[in-house]
This record gives sequence, structure tokens and C-alpha cells, in this order.
Amino acid sequence: MPRITSLEELHKLRAELRGEVMQRYEVGTTLVVGMGTCGIAAGARETLRTLSEELARRGIEAHLTITGCIGQCAYEPLVTVHRADAPPVMYGHVTADKVPELVEKHLVQGQVIQEWVVETS
Amino acid sequence: MTTKPRATVLLCSSTGCLASGSAGVREAMSAELQRRKLEDEVQMVIGGCRGFCTMGPVMDIYPGGIFYVRVQPADVSEIVEETLIKGRVVERLCYKDPVTGETIPIFEKIPFYAKQERLILRNCGRINPNRIEEYIAFGGYEALAHALLAMTPEEIIRDVKASGLRGRGGAGFPTGRKWEATRMAEGDIKYVVVNGDEGDPGAFMDRSIMEADPHSVLEGLTIGAYAVGAHQGYIYVRDEYPLAVRNLQIAIDQAREYGLLGENILDSGFDFDVQIMRGAGAFVCGESSALMQSLEGKVGEPRPKHIHATERGLWDRPTCLNNVKTWATIPHIINNGPEWFRRMGTEGSPGTMVFSLVGKVNNTGLVEVPMGISLHDLIYDIGGGIPKGKKFKAVQTGGPSGGCLPAELLHLPVDFDRLTEAGSMMGSGGMIVMDEDTCMVDVARYFLDFLKEESCGKCVACREGIKRMLEILTKITEGQGTMADIERLETLAWTVQQASLCQLGKTAPNPVLSTLRYFHDEYVAHVVDKKCPGGVCRALITYSIDPEKCTGCMVCARKCPQTAISGERRQPHVINPELCIRCGVCRDLCRFDAVVVE
Amino acid sequence: MITFTIDGQTVQTEEGKTVLEVARREGIPIPTLCYHPAVEPYGACRMCTVEVELHGRTRLETSCTIPAQEGMIVRTNTPDVYKVRQTLMGLFLSRCPNVPLIQELAAQYGVTEPPYPTDTPDEKCILCGLCVRVCQNVVKAKALNFSERGITRRVGPPFLEKTRDCIGCGACTIVCPTGAIEIVMEKLAVYKEKPLGPTSAIYVPSLQAVPRVPVIDTDVCIRFRQNDRTNGRIADACGVCQMMCEANAINFDQEDEIIELEVGAIIVATGFHMWDPTQLSQYAYGQSPNIITGLEFERLSNAGGPTGGEILLADGRKPESVAIIHCVGSRDHNAHPYCSRICCMYALKQAHLVRDKTGAEVYEFYMDMRAFGKAYEEFYERIQEEGVFMIRGKGAKVEVLPDGKLRVKGENANLGVMVSVDVDMVILATAIEAQPDADRIASLFGLGRTEDGFFAEAHPKLRPVETNTEGIFLAGACQGPRDVPDTVAHTGAAVSMALALLDKGEVTISPAIAWVNEELCSACKTCIALCPYRAISFIEEDNVARVNEALCKGCGTCVAACPAGAITGRHFTDEQILAQIEGLFRLPVEQLEGVGS
Repeated sequence: MPRITSLEELHKLRAELRGEVMQRYEVGTTLVVGMGTCGIAAGARETLRTLSEELARRGIEAHLTITGCIGQCAYEPLVTVHRADAPPVMYGHVTADKVPELVEKHLVQGQVIQEWVVETS
Repeated sequence: MTTKPRATVLLCSSTGCLASGSAGVREAMSAELQRRKLEDEVQMVIGGCRGFCTMGPVMDIYPGGIFYVRVQPADVSEIVEETLIKGRVVERLCYKDPVTGETIPIFEKIPFYAKQERLILRNCGRINPNRIEEYIAFGGYEALAHALLAMTPEEIIRDVKASGLRGRGGAGFPTGRKWEATRMAEGDIKYVVVNGDEGDPGAFMDRSIMEADPHSVLEGLTIGAYAVGAHQGYIYVRDEYPLAVRNLQIAIDQAREYGLLGENILDSGFDFDVQIMRGAGAFVCGESSALMQSLEGKVGEPRPKHIHATERGLWDRPTCLNNVKTWATIPHIINNGPEWFRRMGTEGSPGTMVFSLVGKVNNTGLVEVPMGISLHDLIYDIGGGIPKGKKFKAVQTGGPSGGCLPAELLHLPVDFDRLTEAGSMMGSGGMIVMDEDTCMVDVARYFLDFLKEESCGKCVACREGIKRMLEILTKITEGQGTMADIERLETLAWTVQQASLCQLGKTAPNPVLSTLRYFHDEYVAHVVDKKCPGGVCRALITYSIDPEKCTGCMVCARKCPQTAISGERRQPHVINPELCIRCGVCRDLCRFDAVVVE
Repeated sequence: MITFTIDGQTVQTEEGKTVLEVARREGIPIPTLCYHPAVEPYGACRMCTVEVELHGRTRLETSCTIPAQEGMIVRTNTPDVYKVRQTLMGLFLSRCPNVPLIQELAAQYGVTEPPYPTDTPDEKCILCGLCVRVCQNVVKAKALNFSERGITRRVGPPFLEKTRDCIGCGACTIVCPTGAIEIVMEKLAVYKEKPLGPTSAIYVPSLQAVPRVPVIDTDVCIRFRQNDRTNGRIADACGVCQMMCEANAINFDQEDEIIELEVGAIIVATGFHMWDPTQLSQYAYGQSPNIITGLEFERLSNAGGPTGGEILLADGRKPESVAIIHCVGSRDHNAHPYCSRICCMYALKQAHLVRDKTGAEVYEFYMDMRAFGKAYEEFYERIQEEGVFMIRGKGAKVEVLPDGKLRVKGENANLGVMVSVDVDMVILATAIEAQPDADRIASLFGLGRTEDGFFAEAHPKLRPVETNTEGIFLAGACQGPRDVPDTVAHTGAAVSMALALLDKGEVTISPAIAWVNEELCSACKTCIALCPYRAISFIEEDNVARVNEALCKGCGTCVAACPAGAITGRHFTDEQILAQIEGLFRLPVEQLEGVGS
């Protein structure tokens, strides 16, 4: 634990630590793709692949993970977007062709695509 | 993809939530994460108290800031499954607005919080108090660095004076003037002291801050020490706050490691160190001169006030004693400047104030608001109004020595001087809301009972005076009072106020005097009509069953401890007044609101 | 200097004085219960509350704690102040309804009945803290303190158990305003109310003392006692006398000075000692404060005494009847066989004083009336005419009755009947005797003692002021009981003889003294230890013992003791003695059996 001996050192330390702490709140974006049987049947594998490529192509850092059947099978493939300071948004019928728009509108521009949203209540 | 944790669970582990079982939740969460193999993806962080303790244990989940209340270990697996894995909100664990019924999953959107101006409470609940790194990450110790390295003590005092900050411990003395007096006092050895005694029953602002954001106190204290020229500080924490002591000690140790406390702080050449001292269970030790006696190892008895502690305090040396909240405010004033501080609050009382809003109000907890907000807004907008549709009757401000203000004064802005004028006081920020089912005479009696136990006993006025006032009030609540008793009560109260040695005695009559002033008719009702309008004083009330409403379910009859209720199934029941002890069980149990108290 | 006003009066004081101190100085009355000038002000009773106006603010403050400040306006008796004191007295009276001090003060504020119910009617302690402050800060025994908090607060030693830290100094009982603390002595307290001796460790011996300055009795003084008791750890206890002395005349560090003088004559005038009659238990001395010795009565009757010269009983009443008993411890084979000479006359005098000052009946129990001096007999007759009851018969017994009266029993030998009389006061004409340290003085000066214990004069008839040692004279009662005129005469004689001696410049001594034959002396030093007059010294350089001819009295002890036979008694050699014996028996020595071998 180094002793802090000047304002500059404090600022430097803060910058370092801030990253570590803020990632708790701004853990970045997490995309959850439903990969239960219903999801796979609806084409979620392709959605997942396309998402992965699109994120890599655009250089967007995001955590991609899969989940099982949530119980909204009629809306599969389901992709839920988790972002900091916003409630999770669940999109339904996200086939592979819809992926670029999703990435562009929601992840880059920060806009929720209301028509695709599935209510979770 | 990324290997950093993708989600964070922030679990409050301060005293309130611990008491409602957050330790069990933590264990369950830890186990569940392991079972689901999510330990690398989801990090668990221990958070501090943000003052919402009635809702505890509380939990935040990021990303998104989802806020769950009253979480039990049995809920954990559902949370992990639904929120952490499937990304869905578990609605039944969300906060429900008691007035609108709305479910509000996001912490910052809850009106109780949204309407606050959380300045000194802002770290409470969002950082792990046992990691100084988190405090620094959120901007901590910037003020100290600036103060030590770029300001002179005189400049600091000038800024604190200009900010108009007044002591948040109760007296509201201008902090800048106190610091200046300490600085000007003769002597090389000076002390700074944190008053963490928080004796007001039910008050927990200082506890929250000491537990959840201990560094804010240390930072403010160090700045103050530099300003007044002290090299030794003491934090006096009441013995009943072991977690605060623990967290403060960890904070002190960590600050020392980082060179933010101890010798040559931040390489500035300024030495300052801090020691924690624990109280021993006396409300009177919250009074500054009694506190200093206690710190010296003597019996906590106050001294006459004309001896200023800033000249002759601890061990007869100049001492600057301030409340936890006052010290915690200092870094913000240094960071943002005195004008910024003055823009909040009122002319006479700038800045924000932390209140503990409790009692018959929907949203209870710690509230930090700018000074000047009206009592009405505080109680209705933030507090959410009176539960169960009852009517507001009174609000007591300032702890057991505060006064009770009636509905006519709800428009009053919350401000040191305005509250004192009205016959109450700001005190340490306690605010107890009372509804129509409260008896004001009983309230006065209740607080005098507390003060009688806590009086140090040194001066006659307080020791004997409080005892006799309590005797009279008890007489009145038992239906034995006379109008002459009320007169005698007034004279006694006035004398105790005038002749007591310290503020405990001088303010002890406030509950009596303010209730006499604003609720005189209630006293008269007790004495002349032998009735208790609030329905509390057992000797003066009767319980009966409204035959229209009673469905004859027999629940009350079965539960009555005196078997005073009789009745057939599906027939209206009757309470035998001879046997009834007015315990209130039947009223609490009745689902049809058929029990009438008058 | 600070100027301010009290009740409209402008006063000045130096900085640091409290308003109460100034008020007291000016004679402005402010009631107090917990204030005492010897201890720090405490502010517990709140009775000294006054109205203080300063810098435009008016407040009620306690005058014992608030320091006087420039421009202060103090009002000691406004309606608000009166109301506060009145309410406070109501509280006090309800706590301690049977304490006279509280009753009186409460009555001054119109409170005659306790307004609130009393828990313990016998409560005397008002928790003023004076005893605690005195014990903690002045005496520094720290045996007393407060315990508990709030309404259950109380004063006492730790856990209310007897503590050895209490030195029994009584300071707490002196400062306690309500009498809540009592000193309980192992034997019955004798002088509870009217002490006839010194009342404090620092006292002026008497108003006629020369010089008339106080002395400190270091056996009783708290400072010295604490210092000795704690081996110097508490070296600065009390010191209140020094604090109070405005002339700064008290110096605790004064040491005894040993002054060496070379003189030609010494007059021993060490006086007499009043015997303690406790040992004659039939007189019950010590069991009632109203049984006193003759000397104690003198103190009582003295205008500079504790009562200003009034004859009063211990409880302050005038006696209605007094008995005087002669020969207590004199002419008594159980005590002193001799007559103390002075008592008969002073007993008559005391009877006269009692009659004159109180008009009480006086009963004198005497054996013989010794009225031997000039106008003594005439005085005796006068006293009889004053109506004093003279009872010839030794007062045999004094009983203390339950109501405090004293029953004197004796025999009226003239009438041949037993007499019993109940009186309020008994004066015991106690024996006078040699001082307790007469032994030490005698050996210091080589004085003899007669059988009665007083110092031996050289000849009972012809040489009353001289001793067996030339140059040492006796004056006054140390030689034997005598009254004032006789003492004056005796002393005059001693002084004249001393002056004559000094004038002559030399003393004549008896030639019959011892002489050491230094050639025979073996330096065994036996004779030196034996000499009762310390007349033999050992001379180091010559390694012999040598007799001081001026000191030697010729007693012959060393002559007999010397193992070497080196010491001769001049004019008392063996040959001379044998020659004398021969002369006595007119026989040749050889013919006497067992002699000369």
C-alpha cells in the first residue's frame, strides 16, 4: 500500500481505482441469449453467432452469455440487454437478420427499440 | 468476451440489515453463486447503510441498479435464477410505494430517495466501508489533499465560516466560529473530538455514517485538525455501536497505511492521529462537556457552560468538538466552495440536514434534504404520508428533548431558528410523526420517563424537577389530575428550563411545554372530562365492539388475555368493561374494524 | 479591574472572581446551599441563581459559577429569580422535609409544606457535593464520591462500604450543611457541641497567649497526617489555612530549630499537668458532656472561650444546678495520696461564678476546706453566705441519668446521712500532677523526684528553689502544687538565687566527689554508663575516663562499680570509712569479724 504524498498521486490512484469500482455499476453491456430448446428451434444459434461477429466487427466490448428457457417460448429467440443504470430490456423474435439493427440502435445509439420489447411482468 | 465480472450484487451489512438477517442472505448468495458456478461472473460487495432499515435486508444488483427489499435467504435462489441469469426483475421483492401501490425496481426512482439531496449520505450504501480504495475512487480525500497542500488553516476557517455551516449535533452553533475560537486559543496542545454518542432514542444518522462511510468523518476531522492546530483527535462512539467502532478502526488503519493519517500526512509535514473511545451507556454523555469528562475517564457530568471548551476543554486544553454529520460535511465544503453550500438551504441554516423520519409515516428511514423544506413536504412527499389513512396529529422534532408541533405548523420550514421559535428544536435530526391515535400527554410522559433515567443528577432542577413533572403527568394519565396540577406542571417546567445546569435539563421540559402550548385541550380532557382523546391512556379509555361491524368470527374472544369478550358465533360480541385491561389485542386482530376505542 | 453592577450598585473586582464572591464581599445576600469558600464552586443547588444581562442578552445564571465580566448587570432578586428559588425550595423540601436548614430557607420563600410526596422523610442529604469536594480536593483522602445516576444519585464511599481511605478527619461533617454526615467515635463523643479545647488543628492557644499567633498541631493537622500516612505521596492535602491567610503567614515547611545556648544557670519551670479523672470511673468523666474538670470550667467561664464566658451546658442551656466535687484524684490512695492544694479555693471561686452568672444552685462536696492563705478563710465565709450548699463529705459517685441529668451521691458527714442530688452540671476539682515528661526532664537536668512525682528541691524546708545540682533551680508548680501567689513568691526566689549565682560568677561545690586514677583506669567505660548525673566522660586522646567535678554529686556508684578499683570517692576512701567504723565500735579492726578481707 503505497503512501500518497501529493495531489497528483491521489488523482492517479483515484483514476486506477475508479475503473475497478465503477465496473461494478458500469459492468458494461451484457447480452443474454435464450438457448433453450425453444430458442434453438427458433434460430437462436444463428442469432448468437451473428451477434458475436457483429460485436467483434464493431469493436464493442460486451459480455455475451446464454441462458435456458425463460418461459416466453412464443417470443424466442429472446435477447435481453443489460446496461448500467437501466432496467434490463428483453427483445423478442430477434432472428439473425435483426442483429445489426439491435446493435446499432440499442448498443451504439442507446435507444430502446420499443416495438421489439417483450414485457416481463 | 470479457473475463471481468459482469454483474455485481451489493448487499447491505450494517446494523439494521444485519439485525433483519442479511448475514444469512450473504451466506445463501455465496453458496448459490458457487453452486451455479457464477463466482467469476458475479461479484458480491458488502455495502453500508443508506438509512432504509425498515426495508432490510436490502440488496442492489448491477447493471441496472435493481433494488430488492426484505430479502430472505430463501429468496436468494430465485434472485440468482431470475435476475442474474435470466435478467428478469423479481417483482415481489421490489419496493412498493405505500400510497400509489406502484412497484419500483430501481433504487434511484423510489420517491423517498429521488426527492432527497443526498450529500453526506451519498456514499452510504454504495461503497464497501471497509475498503478505503472505494472511498478514494468516489473522490474521497481530494478535499484533504487540497486543504493540506494548497490552503492555509486561516483560509479553511474562512471558507467554513463563509459557508454558514452550523453544528449538526443539536445546538446549531456556527462551526466556523467554533474553529476560529479554537485556533485563537492559547496553547500548543489542542484537540478535535467527534461526538458519536447519538443518544436520542431511535436516531441513527450518525450510526449510518460511521458504519457506511467512516472515511468521510476522518477526512473532515483531519481537515478540521489542520485548521485549528490540533494533532490528536478522538472519536467518541457510544458503546451500543460496535459495528461503527469496528468500521471506524478499519478505516483508521487503512488511512494510516496510505499516509492519509498519522505522521506527515500526504507529505505535508502535518501530523495528526486519531483514537476511538467508547461510551458507557449514558445519554448525558452526548452533552459536550459531559462527553469530555467521560473521555478523561471521569463520571460524565456537565460543567457550567461559560467555560468554553474551545479555551479549556479536554484536560483543560482548547478542544473543538463537533457532531459526526458536521465533520462529514466539511470535505464537501472544501471541494465545492462555501458559495455552493450556501445555495442550498435557508439564509440562517444553509446546507442539507439528515433527518431520521420515523413513527406513523409510510416511508421511514434517513432522509437528507436541503434545509428549508417544509415539514409538510418532508412528511408527505418524502415520507409518503400517514399510513392506514389516519390523520396527522403532531411531529416531534429534535429527539426526546424536542417539542411537538401540530398540524397548523406543517408549513414551517425546517431550519434551526424557525423550529426553536416554535418551541421545538432541530436537535440531531430526529423526527417522529404521530397520528390521531397518539395521546400527547402520554407522549410527554414517555419522554420525561426517558430523561429521568438519563439525568446525571448533579443539579436539583433537572434531577428533582423531571421526577416531579413525571409524577404529575403520570397522575394525569391515570385520571387523577387536577387543573392545579397543570398549573404546577407549567411552573415546574419553566423552572427546570431556567435553572438547569446543562442542556439536558434545559430542554427536558420541551415535550411538556410544547404539548401544553399546542394541545392544551387534551390536557384539559384528561383532567376535567377524564377522557383520553388519543385513545391511549388505559385508565381513561373504554373498548367496545360495534355491533354493526362485528361478524361474530370469535377471533378476539379467543385471543383476549382476560377472556373479557363474550359472544356466540355469528353474533355481535360484547366486551366486559370490568375485565377489559385495554391491551389492544382485539383491536389489532379484528379484520372488520369493529373494535371501538374512546 | 472589572466594573459591573449588582442590584444597581456599581462594584469593582479583579478578574477571575465570581459574581457570588463579589456579592458576599459587598454584603448582598444570595442564598446558597452547595457553596463553601474553601472548595471549588459546583452549581448543584441552583439557589444562587441571579439574572444576568450582558451584551444585550438577559439570562438566569448561577452566581457561584459565573465570573464577573465588564459591563455585566446583575439583579439578585427579580420576580423570576424569586420564582425559581421558590420552586427549587419546593423540590428540596419535598426531598428532605425534616431538615431544619431546608425548612427555614423554604419558609423564606413562602414554602411551608412539601408540595410533592416525599419518598424518605428521614432523608437529610441534599446532594450538594460539599463533602465530596472537601474529601477529594482538600483533604485528598478521596474516600467519598457520588455514585449512581439521576434520581438515585447518592454520596458515600465506594459501594457504600467502610473504607480505610477515610482518615476520620471530620472535614465532611464540618462542611455538610444539613448534618447528614456524623462522625461516630469509638468511645462516646464528649464534646459534641461545645469544645473546651482547640477546635481545629490550627488554633490560637488562648487569647492571652504570647505571642498571640496560631500554632499547628501536627498530630492532628490533615496535611501532616496525610503526608506521614502516605509516606509523602500526598504531600499537599488541605492547606486551606494557607489559602485563606491574607498575610501569607503560613509556612508548612518550618522546621523545629535547635538552639544551643551556653548558660550559667537554669530555672526549670515546666508547670503541672491536669490529671485525667476517667480512671476513677465512679465520677463518670467522659460519659456526659456536662461532667467537666476544673480547668475545663475555667475555659468555659473565660470571656475568650467557646461561649464567650457564659456558663452553658453542652446543648446551650443555662444550668439550673451544679455540683462541685473536691479531691477528685487527690488525697486518694487509688490515685494521688497528696493534696493538690489549689482546688479548694478555686472550687469556691467557681461556685461563686456559677451563682453569679447563672443563679444556679451549687452543691460543694468537700472533705476539708483548705483555706490557708491571706483572705482565703474570709472568702470561704463569703461563699457560704452566697447560698452555696457546702456538704462535708466526699462526693462518692456521679451517675448519668437517661434524660441527661447527673445524680451526685455522697455522704454528708456532718449530718451522718447519705445525700443524693440531681444536677445539670458536675465540676470535678481534679488532682494536679507532675507533667507526663517529668522523667525525661529530670534525667536531662539531673533532677531528683519526690514521691509525689514533682521535682526534688534540695531541702524541703530550707532550700525550696534549689536542686542538688548547683546552678539548676526550680520555679513554680513543677516542684509541687502551689497557687498563684505562692508561685510568684517561689519564682522570685529562684530568680534571685540565679541572679546571685551569675553575679558571683562561680559555684561552690561539695568536695566529696569521685576521682579517677588514670593510671589504673582500663578504659572499660562501665562507670560512664552508670553515672546517673552523666558526670563521667571518656577522653579519647588519653584513653581514660574522667570525672567532671562540677557535675559529680559524690553518690559513689562509680567507685563501687569500677572493676579495676581505679575510682576513689574523695573523703570517702575505704580507709577513711573503715577508720570511721573503727571509731564507732572502739575496737581494733582486726577483731571485727568479716571486715577488711
